[in-house]
Amino acid sequence: MPHPDALHLQAHFDNELDALATAEVERHLEQCAECRAVLQDFADTRAALRRELTYFRAPPVLRTRLTQALDAERTPENSRRPPHGRSRSAALPFWAGAASGGLATAVAVGLAVLIWAPPPGSVLVNGLVGAHLRSLMSNHLVDVLSTDKHTVKPWFAGHTDVSPVVADFTPQGYRLLGGRADYLDRQRAAVVVYQHGQHVINVFSWAGHDHELPADATRNGYHFVFWRSGDLQYCAVSDTAIEELLGLVRLLQGLNAGDARG
Amino acid sequence: MDEKRGRFEAEVLPHLDAAYRFARWLTRSSADADDVVQEAMLRAYRGFDALRGSDAKGWLLAIVRNCHATACKQQQRRAFVPLPDEGDVQDGYAMTGAMPDPEYASIRFDEARTLDALMSALPEVYREVLILREVEDMDYREIAKVTDVPIGTVMSRLSRARAALKQQWQRQIEGAPHAAP
Repeated sequence: MPHPDALHLQAHFDNELDALATAEVERHLEQCAECRAVLQDFADTRAALRRELTYFRAPPVLRTRLTQALDAERTPENSRRPPHGRSRSAALPFWAGAASGGLATAVAVGLAVLIWAPPPGSVLVNGLVGAHLRSLMSNHLVDVLSTDKHTVKPWFAGHTDVSPVVADFTPQGYRLLGGRADYLDRQRAAVVVYQHGQHVINVFSWAGHDHELPADATRNGYHFVFWRSGDLQYCAVSDTAIEELLGLVRLLQGLNAGDARG
Repeated sequence: MDEKRGRFEAEVLPHLDAAYRFARWLTRSSADADDVVQEAMLRAYRGFDALRGSDAKGWLLAIVRNCHATACKQQQRRAFVPLPDEGDVQDGYAMTGAMPDPEYASIRFDEARTLDALMSALPEVYREVLILREVEDMDYREIAKVTDVPIGTVMSRLSRARAALKQQWQRQIEGAPHAAP
């Protein structure tokens, strides 16, 4: 087996690979001193950081200040009252202003919500980027290896929550490699895998919820094209040229239209 | 209100040390870390209802990171540090892979101070990913959420961060005068 690439080896070190990929890397490590040395470097660095880096803890005075600040947040009546004494207002310059009005508080709440809840689309795209990258690096590109849509489609029925359109477009340059189950948007998604020239195209599909599809995007050099068909939402992901990717999308959409008529 | 305070103290306050540690490494100053953490805790408290059972530590650290960014923007006290190029992951590998270091484990001179200094000197995107992974022991998905980037970016940054730290460490060892007998 050739060397796993750097990120793959690192993912092994960080316990991020599935059992199958882990076993494969470990087989390689048995006979590759070079990769073992890379792992040893990772381990030495981690050990040094955990042993020697200063392990800061919140100072007691900060805890006290926080308790006072939270006390002042407790009721609107309290927050309207001026702070007791000079020392506290000097110690807490930034909240004293914010606590003076409900509007500022509402803005702060809105901010905190925004920070943690990016638009659903970006979560979805992040998930797709991760799933696409994992499929390329973990030797887990396909679960069912077949160029026959009559093999791939029934396989999905048993392994995912959806039954996407599957077809082989070898004559048009998009060869069906097989299918894979993946996890996306909190559900089991079906992935149909195509090869176009040297490029892999993952076509994800999942049960459509009410939220809107993200706009087509390009991230880390990968193109993402979204569309909806019936109850399913689709996303084609690849690093192939966008026009080539759209070519496959049009073929798949054509099939869907045909299904609807038939 | 008191019930909210109780839940906040049970769910969020236990992560105060982690929040402070993260802020301390982001700001590289104890005074700034105090301010960032206090601001973050208040924002967390006001927005606590949005947490709803998800990972409190990651949520709090994301707020800390955001408060730090806001403080930086407001004060403009730091020079702009350009993001390293995310496109090419191979050079990180070359750096890590090509370093034989027979003496690495045996050298302990002032190791803590050296490591603290090396960590402080790293670009912020490297520092934060190393702290979250190696000190806070978060997995890629959690780090991606805190730092608001895709998992692939976490992986390449982590690889580059490890290589950069290793390289600086190596340089330190080679450049350091030998201890007098």
